[in-house]
Amino acid sequence: MKRILCLLSVVSLVFLSGCWDRVEINDLAIVTAAAIDLTDDNQIEVALQIFIPKSSSSGGGQGGGGSSGGGPVTLLHSHKGRNFADAVSKIQSQIPRRIFWGQCKVFIFGERLAKKGIQRKVDVLIRHPQIRERSYLFVTEENPKLELESQPPLERYSAESIRELSALRIGMNVTPLDLDEMLTGEAKGGALPIIKGQSLEGKQDKSIMFPNITGTAIFKGDKMIGKLSGKKTRGLLWLRNEMESYSVTVKLKGVSGDISLNPVSEKIKMVPKIENGKWKMYVKINTEGAVIENGTNLLLSNPQTIRMVESAFQETVKRRIHLALDDIQHKMKVDIIGVGKEFHRKYPKQWKKVENRWEQVYPDVQVTVDVEGHIRRQGYITKPGGMPEEEVRKE
Amino acid sequence: MLEKRVKATCSDGGVTSLIRNVDKLLRKTKGKKNDQALENKIQDSKPKDPLYKSFSQNIEALRSIYHNCSDVTFRPFLLFGKTRAIIIYNEGLSDIEGIEKYVLSPLMQESENEFPSINEFLEAKMPVSKVERVKIFADCIESISLGKPVLFYEGESDGFSFGLVKWEMRSIEEPVAEGGIRGSREGFIESLKVNTSLIRRIIKSPALKLQSMKIGKYTKTNVVIAYIDGLVDPTLLEEMTNRLKRIDIDGVLESEYIEEMIEDNPYSPFPQILTTERPDVACSHLLEGRAVILVEGTPFTLIAPVSFFSLIQSQEDYFQRFLIGTFIRWLRYLFLIISLLLPSLYVAVLTFHQEMVPTALLLSIAASRETVPFPAIVEALLMEITFEALREAGIRLPKQVGSAVSIVGALVIGQASVQAGLVSAPMVIVVAITGIASFMVPHYITGIAIRMMRFPMIILAGSLGLLGIMMGIIAIVIHLSSLRSFGVPYLAPLAPLQGREVNDVLWRAPWWMMQTRPHFTGQYNQKRQSPNQSPGPEKGGSME
Repeated sequence: MKRILCLLSVVSLVFLSGCWDRVEINDLAIVTAAAIDLTDDNQIEVALQIFIPKSSSSGGGQGGGGSSGGGPVTLLHSHKGRNFADAVSKIQSQIPRRIFWGQCKVFIFGERLAKKGIQRKVDVLIRHPQIRERSYLFVTEENPKLELESQPPLERYSAESIRELSALRIGMNVTPLDLDEMLTGEAKGGALPIIKGQSLEGKQDKSIMFPNITGTAIFKGDKMIGKLSGKKTRGLLWLRNEMESYSVTVKLKGVSGDISLNPVSEKIKMVPKIENGKWKMYVKINTEGAVIENGTNLLLSNPQTIRMVESAFQETVKRRIHLALDDIQHKMKVDIIGVGKEFHRKYPKQWKKVENRWEQVYPDVQVTVDVEGHIRRQGYITKPGGMPEEEVRKE
Repeated sequence: MLEKRVKATCSDGGVTSLIRNVDKLLRKTKGKKNDQALENKIQDSKPKDPLYKSFSQNIEALRSIYHNCSDVTFRPFLLFGKTRAIIIYNEGLSDIEGIEKYVLSPLMQESENEFPSINEFLEAKMPVSKVERVKIFADCIESISLGKPVLFYEGESDGFSFGLVKWEMRSIEEPVAEGGIRGSREGFIESLKVNTSLIRRIIKSPALKLQSMKIGKYTKTNVVIAYIDGLVDPTLLEEMTNRLKRIDIDGVLESEYIEEMIEDNPYSPFPQILTTERPDVACSHLLEGRAVILVEGTPFTLIAPVSFFSLIQSQEDYFQRFLIGTFIRWLRYLFLIISLLLPSLYVAVLTFHQEMVPTALLLSIAASRETVPFPAIVEALLMEITFEALREAGIRLPKQVGSAVSIVGALVIGQASVQAGLVSAPMVIVVAITGIASFMVPHYITGIAIRMMRFPMIILAGSLGLLGIMMGIIAIVIHLSSLRSFGVPYLAPLAPLQGREVNDVLWRAPWWMMQTRPHFTGQYNQKRQSPNQSPGPEKGGSME
């Protein structure tokens, strides 16, 4: 008897302590994206995009088979509050299901908020146990709610569309963890991708939009101070070694038409050097591309021609990098490419001396970019396609 | 302390007196006084009551023993036309045609004159393969029970039993529960003699020993321990014989009776003895130095000692190319884990760890679960129990209505309940995969043991999430590693790790590589075959 009682109490210890945090999936409001902005009266407005399971429910079986096209998949709910948590708790009081952050992968900040400072918001994103530290952060120039309201034609809901877009690595990819690292690291500044909804061609309907990554927002401290355009963002990506699946179009001197390359791989090496008290940074970029379109009359099987194209390729990449570097280093003076980090690593003692006034030292660092570009693949054909033999320049 | 003891004796006394009363009541209704004596004669026949000197006394005693046994026939006749004789046989078990042709007709027709004595005539001139003298009642009863006719005649105290046994039995068929693509199609049957012959046909060496003993007060079931002398560990054999000798039960109808009486840990859900109805499987284990227990009346033989891994291996692993055998073995390990964990993982993730599922998957699950009125754990238990019921019903049903089960199972459970929104489609998929996975385990009982473990796992998952599942797994592993089968660790050769034998667990090594026998306990015969037998062109074609 005693043994049974003992066993029973042990077993119930296990089971009684369980269950307290169990939530059925039917009781969850699954947040797929959140937008955070500042209102005119200086309050925080949070808008949540919440998945509606009913809309795509197949639980009714084949009876409701054709329902996939109807009804929105998500709903957008927003509320103002003194801060993020306050606004969310106010939303919670209006939603019958418990807000679940575990699947929220997109956070969009309004530009107004970004200019005022996002540090407190970043704190929530990292502190909250449910929010993923690997979600994606964005800044938008418009009201961020608009981005979430749009219904993308390809994906099920806009958050998914935004997430997929950033997985393509067209712009920067920044998670709360990255941002925290950037803001607290040597740079004391950060960068977030900017998204913007774009209507489909010829349609003025605001509800159907493609979200689009248009550039990069640069932060000094936790405040947004400027933007990089799309083109300059590419230069930034080259420097950050985040370049992927983007094509470079090269124009050769004295040749009509141009050649497009798809960078296959990129290797970057940053070598800091202090020479005679001058701080110098050598950036060595090694890139390989494949020709995907040849609009010139050049025969690409000729090694000389290839070398010519390669040097043009190098020039193009170099120009782009300098374009971005100019803005980042000299205009905005934010070290988001990690120059300070490299110096810190190699010259810890010297770094200690300039650490506090790095902002003044950084713009004067002499950055030398050295690009080595190669063309490894010419595609299936060597001579320009659809061109008579006589017109091809052989040299 | 004292009080307790008094209470215990009281309750004991109560029970025994109750039994005594029932006994008395029974005896009164029967109205027989010599019951006790008779029972003694039947049961305690081993202390050997010799047959009486006189013919009529013997017959009278036997008639009283076989009172109300309509199948035992007493056929009196005159031996050589003058001596009173009687032949006792069992109608269903004895070869009646043979009795008429080879016993009755010569004995009735021949005349005595040519032979000095009847005894000599019986031993010399009877055209029957086996003629044995029976000197005690016990042997007499046994002979009759086995179907051997027993002859008594006036002036001779001994009886004569003839080997004229013939009874109906199933022919050798393909084993139903252990099918296969390749390999022998023979399966054991209910007759022990046939079963031993099946083994002997495979292992011809006289080192194959078949020790016989009888178990069961009433059934007197023949049980044979088969082993190969020189391969088996003698201490194992001794232990096995001791355990078998300890058994004292009314009857053995199936080898499970014996299995449960000789197991190391009777409370475990996991079988610690392998059962098989395939002679080739039994022989492969004999060749590895295990002992096989064959039981009369069932095609299922017992093999011990075994480890958990032999329970989830199939004979076909060895009958296929070793790469295929290895692949199937790993497939089986994978599905073993699935059959144990998939429903509980599903429940745990859906009730505690929703963030662990990829978003798209979670959204579709959420959509399909939207109309389901039950929490995930209830849904899982409901479906799993239904599945188990379907499986069990499918076994017991007559074949003619078998299709009804599949219709009910597939249509009603699978489709209608999903359409009605009572059960979500992902849950049906999970249950179906789990069901298939559990049938991947070739040994049926082991499969059931693992399936049974699934239910506590689901409950743990539903109350504690992944933590609960981890606790469950830890508990199962602790239990498994504490089990033993005739002293051999259950998880051997993985725990404890036995280098060479891991060959047969992690993969199915090709035959030319399996040079050693597994080691269980004590001494063993290590070398199985000569080394360097890997075939290849450099081996040449010469036969030296």
